[in-house]
Amino acid sequence: MVIAQCKNLIKIYPGAQNFRALDEVSLSIESGEFVSIMGPSGCGKSTLLNILGLLDEPTGGEYLLNGMPTAKLNDVRRTKLRRHQIGFIFQSFNLMPRLSVLENIALPMRYTNVSREEILPRARELAARVGLEKKLHSTPLQLSGGQCQRVACARSLANKPSMILADEPTGNLDSKSSADILTLLKELNDGGMTIIMVTHDLKIAAGTHRTIHMKDGKIV
Amino acid sequence: MRLPDLMATGWTEIWAHKMRSFLSFFAIAIGIATFFYTLSILSQKYSRLHDAAEIAGAGRLETKTFHPLTLVQYKDLKMRLPEGSSLSFTTEASWVQSGEGWNTLFHKGNQLVGSIVYGILPSFKDADFVYRLEGRFINWQDVENKSRVIVLVVFPHEKKKKEWHGWWERENVLTLEDYSAHHHLLQQQVVLNNQTFTVVGILHLPTQDKDLRLENKREWIPTLYIPFTTWYDLYSNENENRQVSIRVVTGKESTARNAAGTLTSYLRSQFGPEEKPEIEFFRDKIEKHVKNARKSLNNMLFMGIIAMIAGGIGIMNVTMAVIFSRTKEIGIRRALGASRKDILFQFVVEAMLLGLCGAVAGMILGYMAVLHLAEDTSQMTFSWWVVALSVLIALVTSFLFALYPAWQAAKLKPVEALKNE
Ligand SMILES: Nc1ncnc2c1ncn2[C@@H]1O[C@H](COP(=O)(O)OP(=O)(O)OP(=O)(O)O)[C@@H](O)[C@H]1O
Ligand SMILES: [Mg+2]
Repeated sequence: MVIAQCKNLIKIYPGAQNFRALDEVSLSIESGEFVSIMGPSGCGKSTLLNILGLLDEPTGGEYLLNGMPTAKLNDVRRTKLRRHQIGFIFQSFNLMPRLSVLENIALPMRYTNVSREEILPRARELAARVGLEKKLHSTPLQLSGGQCQRVACARSLANKPSMILADEPTGNLDSKSSADILTLLKELNDGGMTIIMVTHDLKIAAGTHRTIHMKDGKIV
Repeated sequence: MRLPDLMATGWTEIWAHKMRSFLSFFAIAIGIATFFYTLSILSQKYSRLHDAAEIAGAGRLETKTFHPLTLVQYKDLKMRLPEGSSLSFTTEASWVQSGEGWNTLFHKGNQLVGSIVYGILPSFKDADFVYRLEGRFINWQDVENKSRVIVLVVFPHEKKKKEWHGWWERENVLTLEDYSAHHHLLQQQVVLNNQTFTVVGILHLPTQDKDLRLENKREWIPTLYIPFTTWYDLYSNENENRQVSIRVVTGKESTARNAAGTLTSYLRSQFGPEEKPEIEFFRDKIEKHVKNARKSLNNMLFMGIIAMIAGGIGIMNVTMAVIFSRTKEIGIRRALGASRKDILFQFVVEAMLLGLCGAVAGMILGYMAVLHLAEDTSQMTFSWWVVALSVLIALVTSFLFALYPAWQAAKLKPVEALKNE
């Protein structure tokens, strides 16, 4: 089953000289796939990922999520899809510095109508799944980079998404932590999760099913 | 996001930036203090006026004349008024010098102090009589005989409010209540302007919070009542027209206008057609008081509104700064599934929490102002509606002023917000 399908995606950043960041990109991702995207800096990887995550809209072309065209969706519908279908992992973790590990993991659930009693037990479960059951009440400042990224992984799972988008999740980590994160993502993928990951690291990319190479806004 | 979560988020942020939060709610606090002060005084004034109207009874009217009135005229006029009406004449105040023996009673340091004397009729106590009487009151016999008898007015002991400005020193005035607490005054002979009087009664006024009359300003000079006729004998002379107040209480609102007509025509028949007594109905008087109270408080309210606008701009300013410094956070929250509404509410709720802090601080300030600035705090009651209204005003102000910046934040595109560092 195809979970995400792009047909001739175009993204033009307007400016003095309109910049074509995506140039007729077509690809399709099967449910349960673990895909890595590689390419030189500025080739449009993040741009593509943002469109796949409904954070941004393409200038042209079509993007179907679970077979549904997304072009005509309003912000409310896009937000709902993003909330329930997509989990994000960022290079710089993007945790809330004032919230505890537990509250950070619980945060996406706060935007759903999961009952308040269910939220924290589920967050605890997720923390255990990434091996942070002993750090529940620490804040991100008290954690190592690797631990932070594990919190982010747990957070991305909070609303049981159908797809995880990770933009250079190991970009800020040493090789040991990077390997840990890759192992974690592989475990998730083994459990059936679709993962699309941008990376600059060949070793990391080698651990995925398929690697998409990009250059100047095109898939090569 | 649910309200408790929004409030928890807001509170965390406010707490994390205590100084900034404090500065921004300070202006709100000042505005609320002004409102709280004004509303407290206003509510007190209203309830007082209501009570005053109640105790004065229905169909009460007053007028003044500069012609001397006699007992014959009293009886004549009383007959013409509706049955059951009360009629009372009271002279204006006359200043008398206390004589021998009496001197020691009223002095301020070494300085001799006089007293004020009113000539009254026994019917004086028919309306709004709220005294406790020791001895007896002036009776008709005293009036007929022009007796030299005195009823003393004794104000109650009241806890003296500490004056914050301190220029008004009451400390060294020896008041009647101080004196009467230690001395037996009934039946004592006293001299006023070389005339010997006998004290036959002492009126004890209730404390100010229980005194519901409209005009119950405390006198710091000893106040004495003597028979109406005695007063005329001693303190008026041919060359000087002294003023007499005439008070009629008919007991019914409906008969008051009639009584006013009777009174006017009677005075005309006695003193000629140029006599044009100005009749003041008690109900109108109350209304006038209410109007005056409102007018003076309107100015205060205006100041309060200005302060609230300043406070609102403060809130708006801080909300804008907060949003600017937390753009990245907005992006992250959007990526995690926050809708525009969630973002809007997050900042509005945070601002309203700030407003609430301002309201609490403002009410404490306002309450202190009431305690220290209001002329008369004895009747000050703590009313919940004033608290509720102050909180409401603060919440509405911060809501309105936070709305625009919060809307700007909600409008941000997720990618653009996320790119912000
Ligand atoms: N908001 C924008 N306005 C204009 N140009 C942009 C904007 N965002 C990105 N670009 C341009 O689009 C191109 C693609 O950017 P993108 O962030 O997708 O690259 P990337 O492949 O993720 O690079 P990196 O590996 O360095 O993260 C870049 O050349 C960048 O300069
Ligand atoms: Mg990138």
